[in-house]
Formats: sequence, structure tokens, C-alpha cells
Amino acid sequence: MIKLNQVSKYYPTRFGPKYVLRNLNITLPGDRDIAILGQNGAGKSTLLRLIGGIDFPSSGAIETKRFISWPLALSSGFQGIMSGRENVRFVCRIHGVRETHEIEEFVKDFSELGQHFELPVGSYSSGMRSKYGFAVSMGFDFDTYLLDEIMAVGDASFRKKCAEALQNKRSSSNIILVSHDEGLIRQQCDAAILLAYGRAEFYESVDRALYRYQNL
Amino acid sequence: MQARSALSIQRDVIFAIFVREMNARFSTYTFGNIWILLEPLVMMGMFVILFGLRGSGNFGYAEPPIFIMAAYLPFKLLWQGTMRKNISVLSGARGLMGFRQVRMFDLSLARTLVEGGLFVVVATILVVIMEWLGFNAVPGDPLKLFYYCVIFWLFAASFGLLMCVVSSFAREIEKIVSLMTLPLLFISAVLYPMSIVPVKLQKALAVNPLVHANELIREAWFPLYSSPVADIGYLITWMGITMALALASYRLRWQRMIAR
Repeated sequence: MIKLNQVSKYYPTRFGPKYVLRNLNITLPGDRDIAILGQNGAGKSTLLRLIGGIDFPSSGAIETKRFISWPLALSSGFQGIMSGRENVRFVCRIHGVRETHEIEEFVKDFSELGQHFELPVGSYSSGMRSKYGFAVSMGFDFDTYLLDEIMAVGDASFRKKCAEALQNKRSSSNIILVSHDEGLIRQQCDAAILLAYGRAEFYESVDRALYRYQNL
Repeated sequence: MQARSALSIQRDVIFAIFVREMNARFSTYTFGNIWILLEPLVMMGMFVILFGLRGSGNFGYAEPPIFIMAAYLPFKLLWQGTMRKNISVLSGARGLMGFRQVRMFDLSLARTLVEGGLFVVVATILVVIMEWLGFNAVPGDPLKLFYYCVIFWLFAASFGLLMCVVSSFAREIEKIVSLMTLPLLFISAVLYPMSIVPVKLQKALAVNPLVHANELIREAWFPLYSSPVADIGYLITWMGITMALALASYRLRWQRMIAR
């Protein structure tokens, strides 16, 4: 369960504070797979970053006892000059995993990168990078995975593999997904949050949320 | 996954960044690992030739190369290295901000540790090399030297972090600090001892805390040298105030610094 308590987020601009989220009060259940819907600039990624703890609310607080992954986005924090393997080691270390070999091999297998795994991450194409990022996060047992458009770039076979991997994790974890792909949302999620006008509404049914979203 | 205490998370993160920084330092440059030894050696050679041409440089208590090494090495690695790495901590942290465990302060701590460790390693190797070449390079009072170096190092780290926070208000600060490095080299008693400075000037120069650091290190390195101005209390006061300011301003400002 992730609880948002009066969470507001604004960015200071030349025109004064620009609010992206205003006084959100929602509870995200731990046993549902949640899609975050909203138009461009509605604050989907911001909300995900807040939940992931890499950005901070301007006021309010987010409470949870779950282990939450870093937000998996295309530009997520891998070091371009370091190789895939070195980046995995780094991520392992900051998560307190000392025996990194097992996860390294898992990521190499899962991401299907082959030799590229030993080359700098900066040289990866966007498809490879998304595969790589997804594979790294699958190497850890998080309670909640935060996915930010990560599956949109992969090819068909990899998307299938992602879906299967997520399915295997279902018993112990849930996902929070940002995507514009309705098919993917219907397939992966069973609840949704609609962000609009700086507010958030929780929907038990994905279909109703999508209907509302399309009629904004 | 297992819950860790805040302290053990920080320890893990600092270790991870430490390894990463070491990697970046020694794998991106082809001659990275040699250069760090070569630069002070070249510098020492240069100054020995310069002093030799002027017919001076031997102050009676140390051979010229050792004299240069004892001041240039701490100034270059402990002061400039640690300070610069701390000033640029914000841009370095941008790439690491994708993970909630990593804070800018961890990067600052890890970089400070890397620089301090490098200094110890490089200084040890150079002392061994110079001894092997027949110079009398071993510090007279190693414990005191270590103590002074630690204070100097903490001062450099605090000053760097403070400048990093200040430069988030005005980017120009970073440029001004890097402009100052060369003048500072000349007015900080690096290439000359304070004992050859006219007494009238001594007081004015001694306002600069770096003079005290260099003089103290010189005193500890050469037992025969006694500095007219060195005062550890003065240096510690500067260090304490800078560190307090750096930590306080960092704490007030860090969230806004990393926000894009």
C-alpha cells in the first residue's frame, strides 16, 4: 500500500510556481496493477518519480513500507560510459547485493544483448536500452515495479517476454504503469488512476478510466 | 529484499560510487594511472631546473625536489583535487539521480574519499621513488603530517561543497574558483617557504589559510624547518566554519539543486 498524503508538486518557472499535482490524497493498493492515465504534461511521470523517491513533493508526504523499484524510463539512470555489466554491478551494490555475479548473468540472458553487454550503455539503441533497463529491474525482487513507457520501444518478442516475466512476479509484486498504449494497459492492469486538472481519481475498473480519459 | 538501516544504505551507496569513480578515473584515460604519478614528477623536475638556473632552491633543510614535493603534492591533490571534485558534484550527481538510494552528499563523500586515498597512495609511491633515487624523502614526523593533511583535506572538501551550493545560485562562481587556482598557487607558500618572505608581508599572506596548511605540512615533513607563521588553530577554525557553512547550506538547498 502506498499512501499519498496531501501531495503537491510544483516547478518554479518565470511565471511563478507551475503546479503539476495539487493536494493529492490517494491510496494505491498493493495487490492491484495500476495504470496512470493522463494527457501530456498531466504529471504522470512526475507522480511516478515521486513514488520512486527520486523526486520530492513540494508539500505533503508519501508513505509506504514496500520495496519500490526505480522508475524504469528510457532515460533512467545508467551511466553511458560504463558497460552494461558495470552498471548492473553498480545497481546491485547500491541495493546492498554483494554477490553480483548471479544478477549479472541473469540480466545478460534476459536482455539478449550478447556481446553488447560488455560495451558502454551509451552505445545502445533505444530498443536495447529499454530491454537492458527492464532486465536489470527484473533481477531484483521488488514489491512494486514502476514502468514509464518502457515497453513501448521493444520489439514484439521482447514485449511478450516482458509480459511473461511480469506474470511470474505477479504473486509477490504489482506494477504501476505509465503508458499511452491502451492494449498494454488493458492487458497488464486492473486498476487505474486518471490525472487531470491537477487532481487524481482512482478507478477500480480500467475500462471506465479509459472511457473517462478518452472523453476529457 | 531486506530492509537496511539508513546508515548501511549509505555505506553501500558510498562503496558503489567509490568503485565507480575509481573505474572512471583509471579506465577513461589511456595513461590515467601513470599520469597521476607523472604530473607531480614533471612538476618537481621543472621547478628543480628553474631553481637550479636561479642558483637558489636549496634552503638548507631539504633538497629542492623534496621541498617541491612536500608542498606541491598536498596542494595539488588534497586541495585542488578534492575541492574541484566537490564543486562539480552537482553535475556528476545528475546521472545518478535515477535511484532513490543515491544522494548528492554520498557522491561528495565518495569523491572526497577517492581523492584522499589517491593522495596517500601517490605520496607513498613518490616518497619510495625519491628514497630509491637517493634523496632523503621520508617525512620527519609522519603522524603530525597525517594530522595536518587530514585537516587540509577536510577543509578542501568543505570548501568545495560550499562552493557547489553557492554556484547553484550563480554558475559564475565555479569559473571564478577555477580562475583563482593559479594565483592561489603563488600566494599560498607552495613553491617558497614563508621564512624567505619579508616580515612585513608575512602577516598579510598569513591571512590565507592555505599558507598555514602548507607551512604546517612543511614543518612536519622537515624537522629542521620552523615556520614563522604556521598556526594549526587558525586552520582548524577555517575548516570548522567552512564545514559548518557547507553542511548547513547543503541541507537547506539540496532538493532544489537537483530539481530540474
